[in-house]
Amino acid sequence: MKRDTTCYLVVILLTNMTLTSETQEKGEISMTIVRTPEIQLDQVSMLYKTDTTEVLALKDVTVDIKQGEFVSLLGPSGCGKTTLLRIMADLIQPTNGEIKVAGETARTARLAQKYGIVFQSPVLYDWRKVKQNINLPLEMLGVKKAEREDRVDSLLELVGLEDFKDKYPWQLSGGMQQRVAIARALAMEPEILLMDEPFSALDEFSRERLNEELLSIWSKVGSTVVFVTHSIPESIFLSDRVFVLSPHPGRLSSIVDIPLPRPRTQGMRNSPEFFQLISDIRDSFEGV
Amino acid sequence: MGMQSVLNRRWLPTFVWIIGLVLFWELASWFLLHVSEAPMAQSKIPYIHELIITFTEYGTTLFIEGRATFSNAAIGFLLGAVLGVTLAVLMSVSKWIEQLTFPYAVASQMIPILGLAPIVYGIMRDEQVARILIAGYITFFPVALNMLRGLRSVDTSALELMYSYAAKPWMIYWKLRFPAALPGLFSGLKIAAPLAVTGAILVELMGAQNGIGVIMLRNLYYGPSHNYMFWSTVIVGAFLGVMSYLIISLLERFLAPWQADFRTNGGDR
Repeated sequence: MKRDTTCYLVVILLTNMTLTSETQEKGEISMTIVRTPEIQLDQVSMLYKTDTTEVLALKDVTVDIKQGEFVSLLGPSGCGKTTLLRIMADLIQPTNGEIKVAGETARTARLAQKYGIVFQSPVLYDWRKVKQNINLPLEMLGVKKAEREDRVDSLLELVGLEDFKDKYPWQLSGGMQQRVAIARALAMEPEILLMDEPFSALDEFSRERLNEELLSIWSKVGSTVVFVTHSIPESIFLSDRVFVLSPHPGRLSSIVDIPLPRPRTQGMRNSPEFFQLISDIRDSFEGV
Repeated sequence: MGMQSVLNRRWLPTFVWIIGLVLFWELASWFLLHVSEAPMAQSKIPYIHELIITFTEYGTTLFIEGRATFSNAAIGFLLGAVLGVTLAVLMSVSKWIEQLTFPYAVASQMIPILGLAPIVYGIMRDEQVARILIAGYITFFPVALNMLRGLRSVDTSALELMYSYAAKPWMIYWKLRFPAALPGLFSGLKIAAPLAVTGAILVELMGAQNGIGVIMLRNLYYGPSHNYMFWSTVIVGAFLGVMSYLIISLLERFLAPWQADFRTNGGDR
């Protein structure tokens, strides 16, 4: 609780520092934005019903996710972390409870095209070349052609795939395909980036490299990120906070702050703090 | 240099096969005619060189009649394809329309063409229209079926992606379902194209003024003396079928080039 307040003050201080020549009024406006949680879940439950059985996938999840925050949903399979993400994305509606995104419903946020989603598999359209896949959301938004080209080019550069822009998805490795999917999700400059185990199909090496790349991209775009994973080190390396979920029924069992400084480096993975956090999170599982 | 060797490697086996087949055919023809002295030997396995002579002699006739058949088949094919695609789209939009139309579409395919052709001809009293209608009738079903399957082949995540963009239904069709259905559409078109040609020829056999089917029937009636001409019409008919297939395949390469079948590196195709 105490650490929470400290972080909070630091955020306000930083906001004020960046506003050197601005008026006090404007500073206050910015502060209120910082204070507003981007995603609020209140007593959210999800009950899946079939003819014979009922499965409570999520039970009474209440959390706030702040704007610009990087949050991980961590847990074993069956803990409802993907369900939770899909509720935030308005792909499914909770059976109970309420979700607010920037003060509005999740549906309003989706219709306002605030979401960028990266799925477990890249979900690239086979008939589109790499650049055309990244271009897709821009076409949907009705962005003008010249602007689209510029933006696609800078996104290709961001994910390091300039040389592959004219390739079809099948000509790319799994890691490259997932990078295209990330570039596509970023194309519409989403306020909120939702990622559902995006690197789970990749080997450990590509995964760690992409973790670092993701953070460097995030530091440039500053979206709010909700990242689903079942890897404890991955969640620690990436996040500001880790939401630990437990199964049967899926529920939030603890929230772990990650005080590691940014930018994060691969070296941090071997630091005592990192190992301490791993064991903290392990404990929070066993305490359930 | 490298290009040359690739060409050789690709075409040499084909070339050898064709030469071998022609030689074998000529030998079999000679055997039937002179050794076993089978009755009407040349109707069974005619000399290829005699056929080539017929082709040079009657080439113009065969070309003109073949063109008549092909253009009628093509018009009917296009009509049937448009109809098939439209029906598939309607069925994919609404389960209700599917339940209403699909059983009848299936039932329509149970009617033998051989019986339907004279009926259509009797109603229309116009060989041109009859040929077009039958060709279209044959085309529409495989196209509708394969197109529908293509439209439904879209997986859930691809749809959810569209959903996350708050895409309008027609946008989902335009950006996702149609391109995803192209491979299915083309497999339907490739089945239908040669069948449309066969259908047009069939109507011509029922009685028409022109077309390859007309001279096919005429030369069949004239008997063994017109045997080479009869064979030539059969070959032209087959050629038209193959042509229609190749045209569609070529179109597919241009319009749906991303498919697994066209991938050059990877695999040993």
